[in-house]
Amino acid sequence: MRKRIHFILLMAVMAMGPALVSCQSDDTDMDDIIALYQMEPVAVELDFSQLTEAPDVPVTDENDSAYNDYVENSPWNKVINIAFDGGNATVTGSVPGVAIQRNGAHLTIMNMSGPVKFVISGKTDNGSLKFYGDKRFQVLLNGAEITNPNGAAINNQGGKTFYVVLADGTVNRLQDGENYTMVDEEDQKAALFSEGQIVFSGHGELSVIAVGRGGIRSDDYIRIRPGVRIYVNSSALDGLRANDGIIVDGGVVNIVTTGVGAKGVRSGGEMKVNGGRLIAVNDGDPRVETDENDTTSCAGLYCDTLLTINAGILKFKATGDGGKGLNAKHNVIFTGGSFQAVATGTRKNKKPKGVKIDGNFAISGGYFYAYSRRSDPLEVNGTLSVAQGYKTYDQLPKVVIIQY
Amino acid sequence: MLLCAALLPQQLWADDSGLILNAGASRKIKKGLNVDVEAEFRSRNNFRTADRVSLGAAISYKLLPWLKASGGYDLLIDNNHEEITYQDDGVSYNNWRPSYWGVRHRFNVTLTGSYKVQRVELSLRERWQYTYRPSKFIKNFDFDEGEWEDHEVRGKGKNMLRSRFQVEWDIPKCKFDPFASVEFHTTDVLEKTRFIVGVEHTIKKKHSFKLYYRYQNVNGSGGDDEPNIHMAGMGYTFKF
Repeated sequence: MRKRIHFILLMAVMAMGPALVSCQSDDTDMDDIIALYQMEPVAVELDFSQLTEAPDVPVTDENDSAYNDYVENSPWNKVINIAFDGGNATVTGSVPGVAIQRNGAHLTIMNMSGPVKFVISGKTDNGSLKFYGDKRFQVLLNGAEITNPNGAAINNQGGKTFYVVLADGTVNRLQDGENYTMVDEEDQKAALFSEGQIVFSGHGELSVIAVGRGGIRSDDYIRIRPGVRIYVNSSALDGLRANDGIIVDGGVVNIVTTGVGAKGVRSGGEMKVNGGRLIAVNDGDPRVETDENDTTSCAGLYCDTLLTINAGILKFKATGDGGKGLNAKHNVIFTGGSFQAVATGTRKNKKPKGVKIDGNFAISGGYFYAYSRRSDPLEVNGTLSVAQGYKTYDQLPKVVIIQY
Repeated sequence: MLLCAALLPQQLWADDSGLILNAGASRKIKKGLNVDVEAEFRSRNNFRTADRVSLGAAISYKLLPWLKASGGYDLLIDNNHEEITYQDDGVSYNNWRPSYWGVRHRFNVTLTGSYKVQRVELSLRERWQYTYRPSKFIKNFDFDEGEWEDHEVRGKGKNMLRSRFQVEWDIPKCKFDPFASVEFHTTDVLEKTRFIVGVEHTIKKKHSFKLYYRYQNVNGSGGDDEPNIHMAGMGYTFKF
């Protein structure tokens, strides 16, 4: 009997022993890997703080293609002052060759007289400025606040350089309306619109609120010089857009866009960044064209041709579905500066990428950071060239960091 | 068993190994009619990971001296294997579903025919079984989304035919009876084959012990997420 009990006990111990040690998981250890995939991005927020910039030295060589972009290189002895006050505008000064039509606070100005400086001040909730004429001119915003419920606040139909100078220390504001009253064969694409190139300069502030169309737009190019402080909030179309290129030499530019398919900054031509601080935060979802089965996603920065970044602080964030921090359709050359692009949106219609470059990407300096929560942080469809000498080159599932 | 293991081809050493422990009781209700209950534990991952716990009950009736019919139910509590899927590049992760415990219900109907040739008993068992897995919500890590998601493992049922051929040898004056069997698990294809060799020891017709080695070979086209596995088995049945 005792032998049998011992036998049964032995069998029980033999059975229970291995069973008790079978408590280990056979799953792959994913903790560290999942931590990489759940990595949070750096904060990309608007930054209105002061920026210390190198002195802005105007080009003095008349043969330099940028010579005419410097407001300092033109004589501004012809001056007209326009002061808004509610539904009226007071015009002082006259210049031969300049005709001004008034309809309440809506002013139409025909300039056939070379460089003329228009000094704008005062506030109107129902006014606008519209310029005609193929002569370059300057608008000095000297504490102006213009809202046009039916279209652009400032609309330049001329094709020559439009200097927007922000008077030192002033705060200026432009706002469009939800519905634009259009004129045949005339474009009116933004709260601040120009057929010709726009050059921003000065040491004041400009806020552009766009609810109907884009914020700032030129059918030519846009140059932003050091010292300016621009804030664009567009709930409709692109924040800052130029058909033929954008040059950022400096300044502090903050852009918020929330429109469907909108871009914070959009350049149809070559874009160069040589300094300043440019931040664009985009919350829009993609525009889905059901007829053509086409989808256009939002982006902090969208560039159709070559993008060159030499210096400056660039931050882009897209939080909408399929949004990109940077969407470059051509090559990107990065030689210096600090660049951060973050995409945190979903991927229902499009894949959200931190940086998407259809051409080549060559980087040889500066700090580059790209993040995507739900897709590739960096997609380069051409050749990716990372020059030797970098201190950091991290390629993680959601983040790519290159630092020199 | 050790000899069998030593004789295994080299590639079989790469297969998983585990343990089967079962304990049961059998009660004779009347002549030819029996009720059985059994609990079972299985491990995998070279004995380190619990694989399954099950509880079962069956009733059997001897239709003829050589033919027995039975029906039964098993509650299976499985530790389902993790599942990893990859992107099109075959390297980047797509989804990870960690292992999880889930329940299945299994019903079976069995016919067993046996034939004795001197001290050797041959038997053929044909078992139809239906297994139902209820739906269950589990956590799934989506690497694209970078977050955990609720994922529904949908309920499904599965029919299977299990055909087992067994040989038992009653050695004179020996308290240990060796046996061997081969069993085929078939749906619309052969899903797996099990080979078993072992011995049975019975004490006073009440306590029955089994020690056996089982090798399971899984056909690649099988639907279940099971590996080829070597298993050491120990069983105890109390008859009353």
